Parts: sequence; structure tokens; C-alpha cells
Amino acid sequence: MNFLRRLKPSSREASLALILIVAVGGTGLINPRFLTGDGTRDLFTSTSVVALLAIGIAPIVIMRHIDLSISSTVGLTAWVVADFCAKNPDFTWVQCFIIGPVIGIAVGILNGLLVAGLRLPSLVVTLGTLYIVRGVVYVVSNSVDYNAQEMPPSLLDLGQKVFFGVMPLTFLLVIIAMLLMGFFMKYTKAGRDAYAIGSNPPAADLVGIKVFRRTFLAFVFSGFMAGLAGVFYLMRFAQVDSTAFYGQELAVVAAVVIGGVTIMGGSGTVVGAVIGALLVQTIQGGLAALGVDAFWKAAVNGLLLIIAIYADRVLAVRSEKSLLAQRIKERV
Amino acid sequence: MANKGELLLEMNKVAKRFGGAIALKGTDLKIRAGEIHALLGENGAGKSTMLKILAGVHDNDGGTIKLGSKDFLTGSPQQSIAQGIAVIYQEPSLFLDLSLAENVFIGRQPKKGAVIDWKFAQTESARLFKELGVELDPKRQARGLSIADQQVVEIAKALSMNANIILMDEPTAALSASEVERLMTVMKSLKAANKAVIFVSHRLDEVFAISDYITVMRDGATVSENPVGDTNLQKVIKDMVGRELTDLFPKTEHKIGEVVLEVNDLTNPAYFRNISFKVKKGEIVALAGLVGSGRSEVARAIFGIDKYESGAVKVKGEILPAGSPVLAMKRKIAFIPEDRRQQGLFMVAGVNRNISMESFDSLTDRGLINFKKEKSLTDIWRDKLSIKFVNQADPVDRLSGGNQQKTVLAKWLATDPDLLIVDEPTRGIDVATKAEVHRLVDKAAGEGKAVLMISSELPEVLGMADRIIVMREGRQVAELSRAEATQEKIIAAATTGKKSA
Repeated sequence: MNFLRRLKPSSREASLALILIVAVGGTGLINPRFLTGDGTRDLFTSTSVVALLAIGIAPIVIMRHIDLSISSTVGLTAWVVADFCAKNPDFTWVQCFIIGPVIGIAVGILNGLLVAGLRLPSLVVTLGTLYIVRGVVYVVSNSVDYNAQEMPPSLLDLGQKVFFGVMPLTFLLVIIAMLLMGFFMKYTKAGRDAYAIGSNPPAADLVGIKVFRRTFLAFVFSGFMAGLAGVFYLMRFAQVDSTAFYGQELAVVAAVVIGGVTIMGGSGTVVGAVIGALLVQTIQGGLAALGVDAFWKAAVNGLLLIIAIYADRVLAVRSEKSLLAQRIKERV
Repeated sequence: MANKGELLLEMNKVAKRFGGAIALKGTDLKIRAGEIHALLGENGAGKSTMLKILAGVHDNDGGTIKLGSKDFLTGSPQQSIAQGIAVIYQEPSLFLDLSLAENVFIGRQPKKGAVIDWKFAQTESARLFKELGVELDPKRQARGLSIADQQVVEIAKALSMNANIILMDEPTAALSASEVERLMTVMKSLKAANKAVIFVSHRLDEVFAISDYITVMRDGATVSENPVGDTNLQKVIKDMVGRELTDLFPKTEHKIGEVVLEVNDLTNPAYFRNISFKVKKGEIVALAGLVGSGRSEVARAIFGIDKYESGAVKVKGEILPAGSPVLAMKRKIAFIPEDRRQQGLFMVAGVNRNISMESFDSLTDRGLINFKKEKSLTDIWRDKLSIKFVNQADPVDRLSGGNQQKTVLAKWLATDPDLLIVDEPTRGIDVATKAEVHRLVDKAAGEGKAVLMISSELPEVLGMADRIIVMREGRQVAELSRAEATQEKIIAAATTGKKSA
């Protein structure tokens, strides 16, 4: 397909995919169930929320910014959507898919105005909104929890929907979002501007890139995806309280960085970010299959992150060396 | 397309202030199609502000600017680009993560429907590179390009946006002689295409070699504008400085003493091989050669920043172990790197903190810094070097390039070194400050310090050095005494490796 060929992965994504395949295969060796349809489906289901968020923040990280507020936004939308549904029994999945993203967009607009409009550092701004939004969840929820019986059956059905026995609807949506966004980042002006902004922020102003608009919209998009992820959260867990998805923002950042999006901006892809999310999940599954205590989960994630950064560094040094050698050769 | 000689840009009494500071107070400039126009002035004369107004980064608060018969619309870089003005900044503003084709078309990507037409961007960039005589691969990442090639990409960008007026801010500051020549060829072809090129430079020999008109600015106002034939070096310098500058190279004779630095067969195969020379007390030895010939790398190896594979460095007869700047400093070596912003200074720290940085030991009382001593040290060096700043704690970021360079000099002179290594000591600073830096370096030699100077400016090398060592592609190809050195001999050695008669 022409469309797929255009998304031709760089060697970076190809090697990540290879590592993913090795990890899946390795886990399958220990626990053959992992390679069955059920195992694959579980991997996709459990990755979809993080993967969706990874697609949301990848453009922001590419622009040398960060959005830490996403996990709070997931918590807020999940709770508010559940609340709406509990109070309006006639709501179906349609209303959920409207309310969630709208709330997310509202948080995104706030972040965007503060970061792009006032030119405040995104790390601090979104750390602030992380606490503010979570604070709002605590206040509005007032310790009320919601369970499956208060949610629209049509929404929960969608959450259970699986194609060909392996592909949950939620992850299919993730893949569609990934392809669209991957195409957008590579082939549209807005997408390329994002890379330019992250690569050299002061120069982006000088060449006439609309830095405010691009940055603002990136945060709105991230908010939108976080809102959508809140709905996905309900579909998967069918329950929500005020601490939903608490503290998961850095897991998303880790997935994105493991997926090859440089934290210093300017390079990486959405496809890589999704592969990163899958890789993290697979390795968790592999550890569980090995019988490693769940307490090790966080430590292994951290190790993985450092390995990814180190791999980046090794690659960077190697390419620098080859560029230098090339220059010396050109001179002679 | 404009006709040759047609007036493209006319600035009249343009003024600009930043808060209380007046940057421009009445700048006039006339630019015609098909001319190369040099814009000269000391640091702080307002050249950069003027370029930034044309680039759309700043608005002017007074005066008029006309583009042909139309008024120039200030406001944003996009607007300036749309009006046919392209700016090539001193530090190339490429996006290192992106491909060259992307850099050429950034902000104006060609589209086919809703998506970018990469094919067109690539073939068009390739065509422009070829036109400019440098066949770069448009698919290549910008990271790793030399400064000269980065400029080529910037110029291709200007051509692709069909700019009529191309502004270049010190385009030759970081180029080697052959690269400068290549750039001049490009500038001439722009001129032949009836475009106007405005360029800022501190290298006056180049200015006279290539420009048609010279406009000199001083203190935010235009002082003179002349066809190049109607003026001369003396006049231009006088207009820039506001007085006669008696001597750009105030070299005095010093008593040459014992050997301070001895370099024996120093080799690091990636950069240089078999380098051997001596520098004596009271002597200024220059390392000349093209950019990239390995001069800076030799200096870095001596100071211990980089390691070397074989050979030895001796200071006052004793071996200096490789790879330790701390040891080098203990042995009283000072190293002033070529890039003062990145390597020479802590840009956000105060002038006082920068000057005292290497002299902490003499400023401490029982391990704690005595700020009174720091203050008096700063005062001493401000007076000695006439560094201009308002408060001692002003970040050096706010000083002009010349004052920044003097701050680096002060920092190292405060350590009272026996050997002073200076790498491109006057790059990017104006002619009056250049003369001052030269006087300071000469004075240091007069006080009995040994000086090793790296410079790409031949007049500086010829004017200041007692001995000149020429390097080419990592090898030492000639050693000339002050008496026998000429510009021709140095260039011949640096480019062909042969010592000409």
C-alpha cells in the first residue's frame, strides 16, 4: 500500500521492532501462552492507554517540550465521564467519546496558553497542571467511586470488542491514530515545523515558523488524546476513583523515550513511541512469566529507560565519528 | 527582477531604543540592485539592530524604510521573508536534525495537495547547491556540516525564497581562506543576478576586496557612505573609531629569554603529526594555517584538553603529563579558547565571577571566598584592560564581544601565567578593541610571558608574531622568522605545503 510505504520506518524504528520481536519471542519461550491469541490480545489491551498517550505527547517531546499533566487528565476525564453516565442512564458510548476529549482539550488549552502564550517552561507548567487537575479530581469526586453497573453497557461492550481474536478495538484505534499521526508528522508542514521547533527553537522564530500556533495546538492535541485515554481507561477497567491513573505520566514519557524520541527534541517518530509502549509492556509480561516479583517492575522500567538513553548516546557518538571521518576524507 | 542600479532599499533616519538604551538614532542606508554593500562599525554601533529590523525581529520606532517605492512592513520574520529579504545570521540557524532539503524549504515547504512535495524540495535544493558550486546531498542531515557548508545551505535558502536583498552578518568570521574565496564567488554571482547583498564584517581587507559601497556606522548613526573607490582603509577606520587609530599592531621589541614551552614530535593521527617547536620567554609565536589544519587541536593537546598518541610537551624543561588541564594550569599555562561564548566564559555569571574563576585560591580565607578580594581583583583588571561594564555582577552575556574577550583575557592574566595560549584572540571584535587586545598580548610578552597565538588573520600574524609556524593538514610545513615572513609565503605554505621563495 502506498500509504504504508510512505511511512517507511527508519532504521531506528526497525531495530526497535526487532527488539520487540525478540522480547515477545523470549517471553513466549518461557510462557507459551504469551504467543497465543489470548496473550497477544492481552498485550494490546494493556498497552492501549499508554500507547494512546504516547502518541499524544510524542509531538510535544519532539518540540523539546513535555506534558506531565496527562495522567491527571486521564483521571479527571475518566471520573467525569463515569459521573455523567451514572447520572444520565440513557448515555451511550457516543456521549462518552464526546465528553472525554472535550475535557482533555480544555486542559490542553490551559497548558498551551501558559507554555506557548506566556512562554513558560513546559516542565514547570505541566507539573503545576498535574497537581491542579488531580486536585480538581479529588474535589469533584468527593470520594465517590464508580463501577461497571453505573457505566453504559455499550461502552463496556466496545471495550471488550476484539477482531480476529487478537486485535482489541481499542488497540485498533491506537494503530489508526498512530498511522494518521505518523503521516501527519512526516508529510505536513505543521508536522515538519514541530521537528524544526524542537531542533533549534530560536531559529524556528527567525525562519518564520508559527511557533505559538504549533506549540499551542500540540498541547491541545495532547489534551485531546489524554481525554480519549480517559475513556479507554473506563473501557478497560470498568471502574474509576479519584486516584485513577495516578503517577503514570513518567511511564508514558519513558515509553516515548525508549521508542527513540529524543528528550532534547528534533527527532523520533510516533511509530517509535508506540513500539516503545509495547516494548515496556512486553518486558513487564516477560518478567511476570519468569516469576519475577511484581515489586521489581518499576526498577526494570528505569533500567530499560537508561539502556535506551545509552543506546541513543552510542548511536550519536558513532554517527558523529563517521561524519568527522567523512569530513576529513572530503578534505584530503 | 530588479534592474541593475535600481534603488531596492532606502532607510531614512531610522531609530530604535530598547528601554532607556538608544540602539539606533538616525541610520541611513541606500541599497541598489546588483551591488555588494559592506556595513561597518564597531561592536555596539548598531549594525545588528539594523539587520534585525530588516529581518523583522524588531520594529523601528522612528524614521522610514522603503523597499523600492513601497513602505517596508515591519513586524515579523515571515513578513520580511515575504518582502524578499533574507538574513544569514552570524551563527547559522540551521535545524541540525533535519535534512538539507528540509532546511532550505523550512517554513515554506512546497506542497502537493495537503502534503509536502519532498521530491520537488530535494531536486530544487540539489539544483541550488549546484548553482552555488557546492554539491551537497539534499537528503543528508544538517548535523556535521562545516560552518562554510552550513552557510551554503543558508544561501540556498535565501535563493529559494527569491530574496532580492540578502543580509549577511559576519559571514566570513569562522571561515578559512579558501572558504572565504568560495563565499566571495557566490556573493559575486548574487550580484550578477541583480540582487543586493549587505554584509557585515570586521575583516577590512575582505571588505575592500569585494564590496561596491561601504557604509560606516558609529553610535547608532550612519557616519559615511561611499563607493569603495572613493574611500580607503585609513578613512574607514577613522569613521568607525571616531579618531585616528595610530597603530593596529602595537608590537614592541622584548628581551627573549629561556625556553618556556617545548613541544616534541607531538602526534594525534586524527588531527596532527610530528609537531615540534619551542616558545621562549618574551616571545610571541604564531601558529598559522587554514581553519582545520590542526592548529587549535595542537593547542588543546598542549593544555591537556585532548590526549595525544605520542610525543611530549615540556614546560620549563620538565615533562607536562598529557590530558590534564588542571596540571597544565598548575604549571602556569593559560589557554584562551577560540569560542569565548561556549568555552571561554560562563555567560550568565557576573563579570566578577568570571574574572576570579581561576584565581579562587588567592581569594579564599580558610576555604571560603572573600568577596572583598574578588571585588578588588575585578577592579584591578577592569582598570588594566579598560573593560566596560556597569556592575561587577552584570552577566557577561550583556557585554559587547570585545569586552567579553577582555574578560576572558583578564581571567587568565589574573593567574599570572608563564605561557599564554590564545586561539583567535580577536575574532568578531571591532578594530579599536582589536588594537587593544594586541597591545595587551604584546604587554604580556613584555612582562616575560611566552605567548603562543593561533590566528587566521594574516595581518595579525605578521603584525604580532616573532616567529610563525605554518601548519597544513595536520603537519608543520614552515617556520618563518618575523623578518622573512610575508603574506605570500604564509599562504603558499598553508595551501601547498611548500616554502616558496
